[in-house]
Amino acid sequence: MISFIGRSIVQKIITLFFVSIVSFLIIHLAPGEPSQVDPMNPKFTREMVERFREEFHLDKPLYRQYLYFYRDLFSGKTISWKDNQPAFKKIWERFLNSLPLFIVGTILTWTISFPVGIRSAIFRGGIYDRSATFFSYLLISIPGFFFAYILIMFVVNQFHVPVIGMETFGIGETSGFNRIMDRIWHLLLPSLLGATAGIAVLSRFVRSQMLEVEGQDYVRTAKAKGLAPDQVHYKHALRNALLPFVTMFGLILPGLIGGSVIIESIFAWPGMGRMAYEAILARDYPIILTLNFVSAVLVLIGTFISDLLYMVVDPRIRL
Amino acid sequence: MADNEALLSVEELKVYFRSEDEVARAVDGVSFKVGREETVCLVGESGCGKTVTALSVMGLVPIPPGEIAGGRILFNDQNLLVFNDNEMQAIRGNQIAMVFQEPLTSLNPVFTIGDQIGEAIQVHQTAPPTEVIQRSEQLLKDVGIADPAQRLKDYPHQLSGGQRQRVMIAMALACDPKLIIADEPTTALDVTVQAQILRLLERIQKERSMSVLYITHDLGVVSKVADRICVMYAGIIAEQGKKDAVLKTPKHPYTQALLASLPNRDKRGQRLYSIPGTVPNPAYKPRGCPFHPRCQYAIQTCCEQFPEMCHYGDAHMARCPVIFDDGREN
Repeated sequence: MISFIGRSIVQKIITLFFVSIVSFLIIHLAPGEPSQVDPMNPKFTREMVERFREEFHLDKPLYRQYLYFYRDLFSGKTISWKDNQPAFKKIWERFLNSLPLFIVGTILTWTISFPVGIRSAIFRGGIYDRSATFFSYLLISIPGFFFAYILIMFVVNQFHVPVIGMETFGIGETSGFNRIMDRIWHLLLPSLLGATAGIAVLSRFVRSQMLEVEGQDYVRTAKAKGLAPDQVHYKHALRNALLPFVTMFGLILPGLIGGSVIIESIFAWPGMGRMAYEAILARDYPIILTLNFVSAVLVLIGTFISDLLYMVVDPRIRL
Repeated sequence: MADNEALLSVEELKVYFRSEDEVARAVDGVSFKVGREETVCLVGESGCGKTVTALSVMGLVPIPPGEIAGGRILFNDQNLLVFNDNEMQAIRGNQIAMVFQEPLTSLNPVFTIGDQIGEAIQVHQTAPPTEVIQRSEQLLKDVGIADPAQRLKDYPHQLSGGQRQRVMIAMALACDPKLIIADEPTTALDVTVQAQILRLLERIQKERSMSVLYITHDLGVVSKVADRICVMYAGIIAEQGKKDAVLKTPKHPYTQALLASLPNRDKRGQRLYSIPGTVPNPAYKPRGCPFHPRCQYAIQTCCEQFPEMCHYGDAHMARCPVIFDDGREN
């Protein structure tokens, strides 16, 4: 156990090292230059461009730039090239904005898809299963942005509540209750939309996983013991069907960063996804690379957690 | 065996499996009886309907696609086929228990042996936890597992195949059933373990005066355990009778062919006999006797008429119109 943790931390650090090299190279291979050193912009004189290049070490060879960047990153001195704000502070602010969206979306996804998928599997071929199948394929096939606009129009026309952004402008003036309701309305649509595709896909996956387990010999054994159907399904089958989802559960962590660019753009939600997108457009290398590094760390933490969880839920696995 | 002693009596059982465009008649009019404290072997090739017959007795045929198309299953003179789900649950594992073919996959990998045996007790009986543990230990001891207290805490993957099959048997015994259905319990095990499990089943049956319905394709096993034998072919019973009668004076050409294809010392160095052709697809069974395309004695009637059961005394009967004696042609 201890040796597993030690081994896996060493492995993950090595992985992280390679991730840092590859992501650094990919970003620098991409065409274009940071917006502040744009030589095409007539406002920039040759001297200014040279000064910026020097300041951002863009005139140095790549490996030097790499070293400078990761030295800054680990000493926490990375600053955005766009507005000279410290990168971690910027990311942290956006992270706090994304967090409620992520949490509500994830809770919706996981709490809805499991009951739906499990019931579909138990009553396979029935009217419930077929309608669930129909709706999940419907949700998978409708593009998120299209669905978003329909929902926005519906909610705004029907309930007369503003849903764009994180809160209504000037709502701070009113009472606490109104502010909370306002926040909830603003949170509801984007997190619901973020969850729909997830629900559709995950419930299908739960269904097929459950179906597979229902066909196993030990489920027949459980029935042969004379157990009631509920115990057969929810104790013997479900416990086994859940195993692969432990892996998925560890991997939802990185979804914190990249999972919601489209939704955040549609709803003008100042979250991390949008910041990453904007940073890429502006060639704001420090922000892109820091986000990249953070999400790599999140992936590795996620896999580590799912390895540990696996050991807890599956007695066959001893690390 | 007199009729009134029958513990289980299957009468004209028909189990069909429907798919979109065909009906597979997996079990097509099977009748046999299992007396008290008797071991009856259902013998036949893969796909002949042995397991489906057993599953119907347990009420475990998946419906749909399965369908009980007719017949009765009398257990203690009650027709199990008219029982509802709750009534069947009370029978399953309690009065009739089943041991399955694959001990490796028949135990739930995420629960301990103790959980699974204890559960089998608690489904049908209320007992305080300490008593459940005691009884589970006793059960494991009965099936010959060393250090039962420790094994109860183990997970299935920590046991060998033979041990797992013993656990399955212990689980089946949990509520002292009157009938145990053993569906090829030794097929997945190696030969030495096979012999141990057979002896174990035999001993337990005597100790607890149970009946056993033993399903197998292994005639070697049959000759060791059976009191009576039912030979199944393509969803029907081709021949049934006392062990010695069926094995020594087989009447049905299929039984004769099966016995002829057994290896034995006298045939050393010769090619083994094999029955020509293959088992018919249960959805497209031949008209008349289902065995006629592979039967070397088939006559015109065999192709046209479904054969009647012919009786040879002492409950020995065979579904073949051509009367044979010791394999000699009539």
